[in-house]
Amino acid sequence: MLRMASSFPEEVLEHVFSFIYDDKDRNAISMVCKSWYEIERWCRRRIFVGNCYAVSPPMVIRRFPEVRSVELKGKPHFADFNLVPEGWGGYVYPWIAAMATAYPWLEEIRLKRMVVTDEALELIAKSFKNFKVLVLSSCEGFSTDGLAAIAANCRNLKELDLRESEVDDLSGHWLSHFPDSYTSLVSLNISCLGSEVSFSALERLVGRCPNLRTLRLNRAVPLDRLANILCRAPQLVELGTGTYSAELQPDVFSSLAGAFSGCKELRSLSGFWDAVPGYLPAIYPICPSLTSLNLSYATIRSTDLTKLVSQCQSLQRLWVLDYIEDIGLEALAAFCKDLRELRVFPSEPFAQEPNVSLTEQGLVSVSEGCPKLHSVLYFCRQMTNDALATIARNRPNMTRFRLCIIEPRAPDYITLQPLDDGFGAIVEHCKDLQRLSMAGLLTDRVFEHIGNHAKKLEMLSVAFAGDSDLGLHHVLSGCENLRKLEIRDCPFGDKALLVNAAKLETMRSLWMSSCSVSFGACKLLGQKIPRLNVEVMDERGPPGSRPESCPVEKLYIYRTVAGPRFDMPGFVWTMDEDSALRLS
Amino acid sequence: MGLDLFLSTTHNKGFDPKEMLGLKPWNHDDCLLDKKRSFEDASGKLKKDLSQTLPLLLWSGQPNDEDDDNREKKRLNSCPLTKINEEIVEEDDHVVGWPPIKSWRKKVLRQQQAPRIFKNRLAAAASWKENNGGLNSKYVKVKMEGVAIARKIDLRLFHSYQTLTNSLITMFDKCLELEKDSTAKYTLAYQDKDGDWLLAGDVPWQ
Repeated sequence: MLRMASSFPEEVLEHVFSFIYDDKDRNAISMVCKSWYEIERWCRRRIFVGNCYAVSPPMVIRRFPEVRSVELKGKPHFADFNLVPEGWGGYVYPWIAAMATAYPWLEEIRLKRMVVTDEALELIAKSFKNFKVLVLSSCEGFSTDGLAAIAANCRNLKELDLRESEVDDLSGHWLSHFPDSYTSLVSLNISCLGSEVSFSALERLVGRCPNLRTLRLNRAVPLDRLANILCRAPQLVELGTGTYSAELQPDVFSSLAGAFSGCKELRSLSGFWDAVPGYLPAIYPICPSLTSLNLSYATIRSTDLTKLVSQCQSLQRLWVLDYIEDIGLEALAAFCKDLRELRVFPSEPFAQEPNVSLTEQGLVSVSEGCPKLHSVLYFCRQMTNDALATIARNRPNMTRFRLCIIEPRAPDYITLQPLDDGFGAIVEHCKDLQRLSMAGLLTDRVFEHIGNHAKKLEMLSVAFAGDSDLGLHHVLSGCENLRKLEIRDCPFGDKALLVNAAKLETMRSLWMSSCSVSFGACKLLGQKIPRLNVEVMDERGPPGSRPESCPVEKLYIYRTVAGPRFDMPGFVWTMDEDSALRLS
Repeated sequence: MGLDLFLSTTHNKGFDPKEMLGLKPWNHDDCLLDKKRSFEDASGKLKKDLSQTLPLLLWSGQPNDEDDDNREKKRLNSCPLTKINEEIVEEDDHVVGWPPIKSWRKKVLRQQQAPRIFKNRLAAAASWKENNGGLNSKYVKVKMEGVAIARKIDLRLFHSYQTLTNSLITMFDKCLELEKDSTAKYTLAYQDKDGDWLLAGDVPWQ
């Protein structure tokens, strides 16, 4: 074996490795032998860090000196739902500062749930001469000034995507900082911005970038300007409209319809803020070729929604509000046979009574009619074990299943039983299930099913479920591929965690909030397992000021080779050995 | 601490789940079982609040404030009905982060839902008033454009638009340094039960 490995010159190996993109494969290659490790690390161009605190910038740079593309994720997923207080962390600046000197040829930065400042953006703009891609997904901490720096300086920029970020929107003027000589834009997503950009600047930008394929506008772009923009970019593949509402005027309608018809490559539509039904027919001509439709901001009702989706025979992805109702989902099941992903969001999530006729039946219909459906996010107000079992039997190819029943702990509304068996059927039939979020009334039994069957499960989200530590124990001991576990408001305490402590090192992270894990157990975990960061979040004050048996508010445990972090705010305490001594 | 971290025996039947719950929560706002009740409590409180408040009085030419933030602190400064909107449309304080919807999606929902819910609650407030023969006081919140903090006043203490206007000027004078002749620049507007904005003074005071 050794002879074989050294019989290829380095250049040949490097050339072979250059065809390997997947991180897992690259990691496997690097473990074959020392020389392969060395060759591989010098030619790895792309790194993905799923938890920015799992490793430090110097460690990454030391091992991979020639990186061109970096992807980092910061805050825990539950930060999306306001469960992580402000100031928790996830700062990207230290990474940018380190990479500015180490990776002058860096081309791509993709960040999710990180705090990005204007200083960081300015540093990016001036440090990386060949910078091409900036994706800021659910990030915050920066303003349009930072965007202006990027626009003004990144001459080779191809992609600027601000999806779902919270931007301090000082003005729309930043867009005008793209110089007239700049023509390389391929993808622009500014849908999260509130302020108006200069429409003429936008139109000129669109007009001079022949490779533009993705354009997601913000709500401030009025409908009567959309036609002009589309006419300058008939090659667009993905479009996010601005506000889709205006007084019905025949000339506006006809130029809009004409503009849409001219976009023969258009496959994905989104936006549709404040959509009025009268302007929907403008997109009918391109509906048959649409593969992705995001109507989750459109408050149009089931009749119009049904008419619309019935024409989208090529649809693969649909995001929509529950205005679609069961009747619209039945139409979806009948006409959209290529559907792969469905997300149904609640139009009135805080109303106590249902405002639309969307029930478990809608999801059942789609599971019956759409053979390729494998990814579901569904908000509803009622569910039965039978419906879940039917869905499971219909769709054994399900890989991502997220159900949210608005009322916590809602039982099967017909039998009044817990939904254990329903979710049990899901994990039993859907052998490739990677992601699961459960809802409704659930006992320890559902966790037993999950532990026994969900062998491919990588991410599990649990809320208001279970009776005892046995539930958590089933999951930690049974789910071999579990990487991320997030739990809130469940009666899980110390025992299951401590018994399965070794498991935690095989996972990316564990989140537990409003559970019953004691401060003492947290300390123990932190001290005994050095490669775990055990962080306690408690806004009531230092956990040491309360008895050891007292449960902590929030607990975030993640594996790391970088040791405890130093940028924690006042309400986060690390349980590592040294700190624990200081605490007591 | 005698716990053996690598114990691998399964739990015996005698394992008492309540033992874990019995760990006295130190200051849990609500115990898990009460969360459902408190959600209902909050809505019950909501109905009581409605009876105390009336249409919003806004003092500016731009009645509809842009949704500039969704931070908890600033919420407290908004008018009661906007606050009610936020209590309805935003998460119940007792169950943070539920249902699990991303904050920016909630923001968009709020912007879309506000006009409709506002109207419904106004109608509810109006009908409550009719059914209960009037109130002892008519407190309304007044917000001035450019001033972060709103004021509350009892309409029953005034008997004309002029006296109301004068008092409001005096009240807000403390926040801004208003020159006496700048009062002419301000207009008083209010929102009736249909959600329409009207200029004060068109209709007789009564």
